[in-house]
Amino acid sequence: MDARAARKQLDKILALARSLAKGAEVHAALTDTRDANTRFARSELTSNGDVEQTRLELRLAFGQRQASISTNQLDEPSLRAAIERVARMARLAPEDPERQPVLGAQKYVAVKAGFDRPTAALGAPARATAASAAIKAGYTDALEVAGFYQHTAGSVSVATSAGLFAHHASTAASFSTTCRTADASGSGWAGAWSTKASTIDAAAIARIAADKARRSAKARSLAPGKYTVVLEPAAVGELLGFLTSSMDRRSADEGRSYFSKAGGGTRLGEKILTDPITLTSDPADPDLPTAPFTDEGLPLTRAAWIDRGVVRNLACSRFWARQQKLTPLGQPAAWRLGGGDAGSVDDLLVGVKRGVLITRFWYTRWVDPRTLLVTGLTRDGVFLIEDGKVTAPVNNFRFNESPLVMLGKADALTRQTWQMADGMLVPALRTRDFNLASVSDAV
Amino acid sequence: MELTRRSLLLGSSAGAALVLASPVLTRLASARGLLTERTLDQVVKAGLDAAKKAGATYADVRIVRRRWESIAARENHISDVSARDSYGVGVRVIAGGAWGFSATAKVTPADAARVARVAVEIAKANAKVVKRPVTLAPEPVHVDVWQTPLTRDPFKIPLEDKAELLLAINAAAMKVSGVKFVRSGVDASSEWKLFASSEGAYLEQEIVRIDPGYAATAVDSSKGEFASRAHEIQPMQAGWEYVADSTMLADAPRIAEEAVEKLKAAPVVPGKKDLVLVPSHLWLTIHESIGHPTELDRALGYEANFAGTSFATVDKLGKLAFAAPHINVYADKTKPGGLATCGYDDDGVATQKWDIIKDGRFVGYQTTREQAGWIGEQRSRGTCYGEDFASFPFQRMPNVSLAPGAKDLALGDLISATDDGVLIAGAGSWSIDHQRYNFQFGGQTFHEIKKGKVTRMLRDVAYQSNTLKFWHACDLLGGPRSWRWGGAMHDGKGEPSQSNAVSHGCVPARFRKIDVLNTDTRSKP
Repeated sequence: MDARAARKQLDKILALARSLAKGAEVHAALTDTRDANTRFARSELTSNGDVEQTRLELRLAFGQRQASISTNQLDEPSLRAAIERVARMARLAPEDPERQPVLGAQKYVAVKAGFDRPTAALGAPARATAASAAIKAGYTDALEVAGFYQHTAGSVSVATSAGLFAHHASTAASFSTTCRTADASGSGWAGAWSTKASTIDAAAIARIAADKARRSAKARSLAPGKYTVVLEPAAVGELLGFLTSSMDRRSADEGRSYFSKAGGGTRLGEKILTDPITLTSDPADPDLPTAPFTDEGLPLTRAAWIDRGVVRNLACSRFWARQQKLTPLGQPAAWRLGGGDAGSVDDLLVGVKRGVLITRFWYTRWVDPRTLLVTGLTRDGVFLIEDGKVTAPVNNFRFNESPLVMLGKADALTRQTWQMADGMLVPALRTRDFNLASVSDAV
Repeated sequence: MELTRRSLLLGSSAGAALVLASPVLTRLASARGLLTERTLDQVVKAGLDAAKKAGATYADVRIVRRRWESIAARENHISDVSARDSYGVGVRVIAGGAWGFSATAKVTPADAARVARVAVEIAKANAKVVKRPVTLAPEPVHVDVWQTPLTRDPFKIPLEDKAELLLAINAAAMKVSGVKFVRSGVDASSEWKLFASSEGAYLEQEIVRIDPGYAATAVDSSKGEFASRAHEIQPMQAGWEYVADSTMLADAPRIAEEAVEKLKAAPVVPGKKDLVLVPSHLWLTIHESIGHPTELDRALGYEANFAGTSFATVDKLGKLAFAAPHINVYADKTKPGGLATCGYDDDGVATQKWDIIKDGRFVGYQTTREQAGWIGEQRSRGTCYGEDFASFPFQRMPNVSLAPGAKDLALGDLISATDDGVLIAGAGSWSIDHQRYNFQFGGQTFHEIKKGKVTRMLRDVAYQSNTLKFWHACDLLGGPRSWRWGGAMHDGKGEPSQSNAVSHGCVPARFRKIDVLNTDTRSKP
């Protein structure tokens, strides 16, 4: 849906809401998506889907009383029913002292190239071709190939009764493949995420996964312990998410976060990571353009969260900002971890006397929010590094480690970053004393 | 099944095939008045006819309406009042031996016919590269209505009543000194669906689930310490009566006090210890270590790229000593209350109860109509499920439960019998590897057991084990009277990920000499 069509539909919805719920403040968000995918496993196509849907989220407030409704039925009778229902709910809701007035018109940074027409136009045959290329890449090594190709196209538009209108259209494509050896002793994975499907080379991804599967077969047994590890971007992105989701001002002020200081206050201004490490966000980042506004319509601009190891910003809701006389700062949709100067992943191996190269993590979960301790497992390609070279495949491990240790003890990062799942632009990195806590027998 | 299927068929009998080409479809009704809208018959017919005409050898149409209503409170005020609806029609077909699926939020005969044609096109595109054509295990043709047995529809409970309960819980918890924050909430959900297949199945079901909960957080700012304690109430397939009859409100002071106690609790000394795990905790260990590895698609590699595979491979069926010989685990989609309980799955197969582990041995998988033949079984176990109208249905976990022990033991008997152990209640951190060997679990509360008595609260506890080793280390089970449901509203599987609600009934159980960790990394070098 383009901006003009979205605006027209939202204007109609706001007008209807004003007539059916007199005196209400209205916040309306339209999300329009086409989500298509093809799955493959055991070296053949399995299931697929292609669904277009528009969803409306409508929030109504009478003073401090508010309620919201979300529906995918947008014909007029359904809209009327939804508005009447949410108005009833809002009138009955107890007052919420934290409710903020809806935002008026805002200025947003221009975001280019978020929407790629060829990606939006992809169909099942293109997906089947890509999946077949991946399956073919596994054939030569008699590998079982599984994977997933997904592409989405759509837009998000926000409008309020106070005159706000925001619109962002985007596309996304992702392709991932897992290859497993026929004797089930080796497994390899590779994946890519992009706003443009044309930048994803399915066969190349499958070749990396196939190569890892072959090389990881018949792994050598390695004891658990603290190791120097080289983490590929997928592993870095997965662990980084636990840090970014914790960067919240209110919980820090309330004393229930790693970012709280003993005795009161926060860790803002404190150096928590090694020197080169910088964590930023920018909706206009050409490598990963995202919406320049939050769900509420609050503008998002470039922000430095951790600058050369020092905490510079924590996300702050509009309520908390008003309460504490701060500036609101929205959680971005994409993050960039930078500061590295290594030329390649291979360069990170140089100088490692004995360490472990890790492809990706699996089933990561919080253990202790006080230290940002996370548990999880390695999978699909774990290798021993000896004297700067990968020498053998080793068993998988469970780890218990914090992203603060991953980044606090990192001594080398690649200059290049890769887009990974969940809006992460991350490098590969090398860090030490990484706690590989126990052996996993999984392959 | 007789207990839950309150169906009343008008003009037909269960098992009789419907002729879907007929313009007049059999009307369905039930005790609660569930009744297919007449216009939907036309949507179903249009979808099935279009699929057949386009060349499908099999088709099913699912019209699904999902509804959620949520209310949440923090400290002294309501923080969220929201509703969410999703409605649409999905058509799944087999053409040329391959699956095709398409869906739309527009529930009209023309749109159903359109997506049916798209589904057949997709199937034909995939058929060119399919090596193993899809075949479906036979199933009697069912025509029926099924619905959650409940006495108080949670969607009809006044908002004020829900708000009053949450605010009362929060107020009671906030009275406890040291408690700084409380969050509470209740989510109600309804899943109504009409399933019709080209074979003549015609099934209308409504599943209502309720998910209440709250957590208190204690903070000691001077030391930079904080701890949370969540109530152990479980989500259930039930109405508001489940919440009204619960002890949530009465428990609030204790839950709050335990949050404060956690701040001062003794750090656990790591090492091998006996664990006494109560149902509010053990259900999750069962889910991860028994529920997931016995999914047949996973065992065969269909989930290799995401959820993973399984150590419980097909060659081990009937042979693998999965657990100690006194352990019995069964799947059951028929018992009232279980989150995954229903009358029929999304293949139109009548739900069942069957053994997964019998006398310690691995004896059963979870299957769908497509999968039954893969292991030479004649009939599906009835575990096919799609999250909503837009989701391709595939194999999802039924309620997988641990049977009680033969002796009538209570939790107290297990504690009395334990010399050096840890009692764990509630769900905390959880993680398991992609073949379901190595797992690590935390919990809500941990208590030291010394010489048969609970002595004090512990903190920073997690245990790590290997599935087969762990279930062989189980030496004591509670009796039938100690059996309780636990469950999860949002179990993820598949790409794109779909959510499935599932319960696991179990008894308190003891596990010998399991590795216990101290998770506070600040206390170590």
